[in-house]
Amino acid sequence: MAAAYELRQAGYEVKILEYQNRHGGRCLTIRGGDRFTEMGGGQITCDFESDGYFNPGPWRLPVHHRAVFDYCRRLGVPLQPFIIKNNKAFLHSSKAFGGQPQRIGHVEKDMRGHVAELLAKSLDQRHLDDTVTHEDREKLLDGLKAWGVLNDDLQYRASDDLGGVRGWDVRPPGGLMPEKRASDPVDLSPLLQSGLWDQLFNFNGYTFEPPMFEPVGGMDAFANAFAREVEDVIQLGARVTRIAQDDDGVTVTYEDANRGGSVQEETADWCICTIPLSVLAQLEVQCGERMQKAIAAVPYASAFKVALEFRRRFWEQDDWIMGGISYTDLPLVQIAYPNYCFMTDGPAVVQAAYDTATAGRNFTYSWSSMTPQERIDAAVALGRQIHPQYDAEFMSGTSWVWHRVDWSLGCYGQWNDDLRDQHYRDLCAIDNRLVLAGEHCSEIPAWLEGALLSSLDAIKRLDQRENAA
Amino acid sequence: MSARQLCALFVMTAALGVAKDARAQDQPADPVADLLARFSDQPGQLTQADGAALYRATCQACHMQDGKGASGAGAYPPLAGNPKMNSKHFVAGVILNGYRGMPDFADEMDDAQVAAVTDYVRMELGNAYQDPITPDQVSALRPPDGGDSTGH
Repeated sequence: MAAAYELRQAGYEVKILEYQNRHGGRCLTIRGGDRFTEMGGGQITCDFESDGYFNPGPWRLPVHHRAVFDYCRRLGVPLQPFIIKNNKAFLHSSKAFGGQPQRIGHVEKDMRGHVAELLAKSLDQRHLDDTVTHEDREKLLDGLKAWGVLNDDLQYRASDDLGGVRGWDVRPPGGLMPEKRASDPVDLSPLLQSGLWDQLFNFNGYTFEPPMFEPVGGMDAFANAFAREVEDVIQLGARVTRIAQDDDGVTVTYEDANRGGSVQEETADWCICTIPLSVLAQLEVQCGERMQKAIAAVPYASAFKVALEFRRRFWEQDDWIMGGISYTDLPLVQIAYPNYCFMTDGPAVVQAAYDTATAGRNFTYSWSSMTPQERIDAAVALGRQIHPQYDAEFMSGTSWVWHRVDWSLGCYGQWNDDLRDQHYRDLCAIDNRLVLAGEHCSEIPAWLEGALLSSLDAIKRLDQRENAA
Repeated sequence: MSARQLCALFVMTAALGVAKDARAQDQPADPVADLLARFSDQPGQLTQADGAALYRATCQACHMQDGKGASGAGAYPPLAGNPKMNSKHFVAGVILNGYRGMPDFADEMDDAQVAAVTDYVRMELGNAYQDPITPDQVSALRPPDGGDSTGH
C-alpha cells in the first residue's frame, strides 16, 4: 500500500491485488467479536468485553524508524507512548528467589551498585593504575560512588540515600504515618545466579530504546491510514497463482474469490510483489534463476502471541505496574501490560505471552503446535506463577500463531549472515519487470520500517528505469 | 547456553516432576500439566528424546497433529502418504537444513533426536516404512560447518 500510495502521487496508475478480504497484511489488530480460522481448522475467537485490543504482529514503534513516523504524521495516525521499560514491572525466574518476581528497577540498581562497588574497590586498591591515570582515578571514584550509591567505605548498602534511588520498603510518610525505611539491596551472587541480569538486557538494544510509541487504539490504524488513500485501487479476495513477464510487461494470474474463484489476469508495465517468500516460493514466478533461488532460500520465523482479558487491572491496582513488560524464564517469555486507560475500573487486556524463534528459544514452536484453547490454557497456567491474581480475574483469551496463517506461513524472513551474503542482493534486484518488496527485502526483518524502506527503494529504482527507457 | 541457565533449568524440570507425581495420586490426569510438558525443558536445544514428543513440540505446528498438513494461500505438505517420505535421508536432511520457508532444526535437535523424528514421521502418521535411520547416518547429513551456531 505504501508503494501504491507513493507511485500514485508520482502519477502512476496502480492496482493492488490482495488475497485476503481485508487490507493490512501482518499489520492487524484483534478486538472483541473478531473471528479467524487458522490453518488446520482451529477457530480463533476473541470475546473481549473491554475496548482492549491485541496486536498479533507489529505492536511498538522505535523512534528511529523514521519512515513509519513520517507516514504517521502525513497520514494522520495518532500515536501514544508505548512503555517499553517500566522499572516497576517484573523480571522473573521460576528457579530463583523462591519464584518471586523481582522489580526491573531493583535488579538494575543492584547490579549497578555491585559493579560500582567492585570497580571502586579495585581502583581504591590501585589495581587499575596501569589503565587509569591518577587524575581520572579520583573522578572515576567520585562518579562510581554517586552512580552506584556507595557509602564512604565504597560499599553498596541500604541507606536513605539508596532509598532515594532504589526505593523504600516503607515509603516516606505524611503526618504521623510510620517512618520511612529504605529498601534492602539483593546480594550480588544470588542476582548473578538468578539469570535476571540477562533478562535486563532485553531493554539494552537500540531498537528498544525508550520512548517507543504505538498508534492509539491498535496497530491496524497504521494500515487503515494507507488504505484510506488507496482503497479505490485495492482488489480484495484475489489469490495470485502465477506471475509471468516479458520485456514489455507482466501478467499476474489470480483466482477471484469474489467471482466464484474464477481465474483472472491483470497486466501491467511493472509488478511490485510483496507476497511473503514462504508463499511466493510455492507460486509460479517467471524470473531469473538468481531471484528464484533467493525466493526459495529464506526460512520463515516462528512467532506467536496470546492475549488475555481480566476483570480488573490487578497489575496496576495490586502491583503498581503501569504499562511496560515483565520478562520470565517460563515459556510465556513476556507479559506486556496495556499502555492506555491507566487506573480505569473494569476489564482490560494483557498480551500474556509472546516470543519469536530468532530470539534463540524453541518454545514458540510448541505454542504453535497447540490448539487456540490450549494456548490460552497454557498462558493462564504459566502466568499465574507471576501474577496469582490470574485465577480470580481471568475472563477470556485469544491468540495468534504466525505459522498457522495461510497467507504468511510464518512471521518474517529468518535471515542469517550466510543467507544474506548469498541471496539478499538477488532478492532485491529488479528482475526485468518484477521487483520484490516487504520486510523480507530489508535488513530490518519483521519491522514495518523494513517493509516501508524496501518499498520506497523498489519504487525509486523502478521509476529510474521507467524514466531511463 | 550458559552453565547458569542450564543449572537453573534442571531445577524447573524437577519441580514439574513433583507436580505430576502429586497429581497422579489424586486425579487421573491434568490436561494442563500435559500441555505444559510439551515445552522443552531448555529454551535452546530441545530436551525431548521421543520421536512423537519431538513431533508434537515442533513439526505439528505446521504439519498438524495427524501429519496431513494444511493449505490455503500457501500450503504445508502432508507427511502421511507423501512419496517424498520414501527416503529417510531426504526427511532427515529437511529437518537438518530446512526447506524453502521451513526453518531448520540442526541446532535444536541432536543426531539422535533428528533420527527419532525421522522415524516417527516415516513409521507413524499413516506411513509404514520399515527402514529406520541411525544417528550416525543423520550426522553424515549435517552441513560441514556443523550447525553449531545458536540462532538469533
